[in-house]
Amino acid sequence: MEQEIKSKGFRANISKLSITFILVLYTIFTLGPILWVLTMSLKSTVDIRKSPYTIPLNPRWSNYYDVWVKSNYSRYFVNSALVVGLSVIVLILVASMAAYCFAKLPFKGSNVVFMVIFTTIMLPSQVILIPLFQLLVKYGLNNSLVGLGLVYVAVQLPMSVYILRSFFAQIPKELSEASRIDGCSEWGIFWKIMFPIATPAISTVLIVSFINLWNEFLFAVIFIQNDSKRTLPLGVMKFVGDVYEDLGRTAAGLIISIIPVIILYILFSDKFIKGMSDGAVKG
Amino acid sequence: MSSISSISPAKKHKNKLSDILISKKFTYSKAIILFLTPALLFYAVFILYPVIESIYYSFCKVEVFGVNAKAQFIGLKNYIDVFNDKVFWKAAANTLIWAFSSPFLEIPLGLLLALTLKKGTNITKFLRVVWFTPVLMPQIVVGIIWAWIYNSEWGLLNEVLSKLGLGVLQTAWLGTPATALPSLIVVTTWMWTGFNMVILLAAVSAIPNELLESAHIDGAKSYQVLYKIIIPMIKPVLANLMILCFIGKMKVFDLIWATTLGGPMWSTETVATYTVKRAFYWSTFEKGYPSAIASMWFYLILIISIAMTAAFNRKEKLEY
Repeated sequence: MEQEIKSKGFRANISKLSITFILVLYTIFTLGPILWVLTMSLKSTVDIRKSPYTIPLNPRWSNYYDVWVKSNYSRYFVNSALVVGLSVIVLILVASMAAYCFAKLPFKGSNVVFMVIFTTIMLPSQVILIPLFQLLVKYGLNNSLVGLGLVYVAVQLPMSVYILRSFFAQIPKELSEASRIDGCSEWGIFWKIMFPIATPAISTVLIVSFINLWNEFLFAVIFIQNDSKRTLPLGVMKFVGDVYEDLGRTAAGLIISIIPVIILYILFSDKFIKGMSDGAVKG
Repeated sequence: MSSISSISPAKKHKNKLSDILISKKFTYSKAIILFLTPALLFYAVFILYPVIESIYYSFCKVEVFGVNAKAQFIGLKNYIDVFNDKVFWKAAANTLIWAFSSPFLEIPLGLLLALTLKKGTNITKFLRVVWFTPVLMPQIVVGIIWAWIYNSEWGLLNEVLSKLGLGVLQTAWLGTPATALPSLIVVTTWMWTGFNMVILLAAVSAIPNELLESAHIDGAKSYQVLYKIIIPMIKPVLANLMILCFIGKMKVFDLIWATTLGGPMWSTETVATYTVKRAFYWSTFEKGYPSAIASMWFYLILIISIAMTAAFNRKEKLEY
């Protein structure tokens, strides 16, 4: 009996140990590469080549200054912030209105229209790339952040409408009916009552589309040609493939491009995780 | 007097009601138009029209001169050409390998991590946050970081191998056709395992504890609990993640653009990169052929996703 307990305890210890081992190993696997790049961003290329894995004792902050000022990253950052920020605002207004309509103002064929929109979630971007490019060229929106922003709103629309619709569908009828009897118009009901209630779903859409668009590359690389109009993911690619690739500065650029998301993530990690999981599983 | 007073309120009431009905119907349809038009406009112009045009282009020879495109109907010729295109088959094989192997890497690994994290403590919360981080990074950035890790001269992986005494295994990971694709599959696994873990953790935590405990008391082994209780109970979530992972990998583009550009010798070419190359980077001005590749891939994703959904649903019905 005693022996049995002992062996059980021993076994429990082993399993605890192996679990800890897995946890530590996977954490190193996840964080290691990011921390490595962080150290690289504070070294010169010569140092990186000589000793790639040391901690920079004399951090070379000038990498960040050079990238931000000389390599035009400040411009890319502002471009990204503008195009993503405005797209997300327009997206939320447009998507929440449509989602409310699909959920609460049904009409003949509304389900079919919704299903058609929903199916495009599976659409690979390259299917619409060629006609979109021609369309933008035709109307002078090629090589413009406005054109890129319009496309961004459209591509995020199906997923956003889907998330918001399922939220609006859960709101009890009585709520809008009461205000309808009080003489409130549909327009008023939506903006005064429904839109504020939908804040949790809206923040999910906000987070998911912000991340998707902040990281978007394919449309940007095809639609934007001028250096002054590049977004951050395009700026990051600037040095890549260059024979004299400046490793330290490239690393600094990478860190700059992920800093906004990481800061927001540290502040609102629970919301981010919930938003991303909801968005993906529902989408 | 009394008769008048008794009629008029009713009449009044009737009038009012019909007024309300008319105005309500009017405002109802007006509201629908008001609410739906912006979204439908965005959708029609930037998604529906391009999709239809792309499918139309796939049956045409399309030549682009500046702003104007001249499309000449040629039937199925593009599709036949695609079938005879060796590079396309290579790209399709690479993409399918990716799309069918990733779910079996990311999801089991995610489940393993979720099970180790199941007992909620402070460290659990911290690790959940840490492991989720790679999903938030742009694929371009992830690609550049991993290109450095795989670098043959000073890369992290070769360094670790030599420290472990496995120096023989050192190679140019992304420069060798045999290792390039598997190396990139590892990268997407790095990116997405944490994400799968978080969703599976939520699903596993929803399983009532009594169920697992009673199974243990009945003498069930851990792996039996896993196969007989945990997996059946989270099946819908697993199915969802499978489809999600599959669709995601069918579209891989950025990561390759940041690392190998499809090389060496097409070994990491995907359908997405090949389409974009044919459409915008090869000096042909013909857009019908890339449209055919892209459309075909879209049909395939749709068919496989629908089939997977149907298969998962059928299995569930059989079991319950």
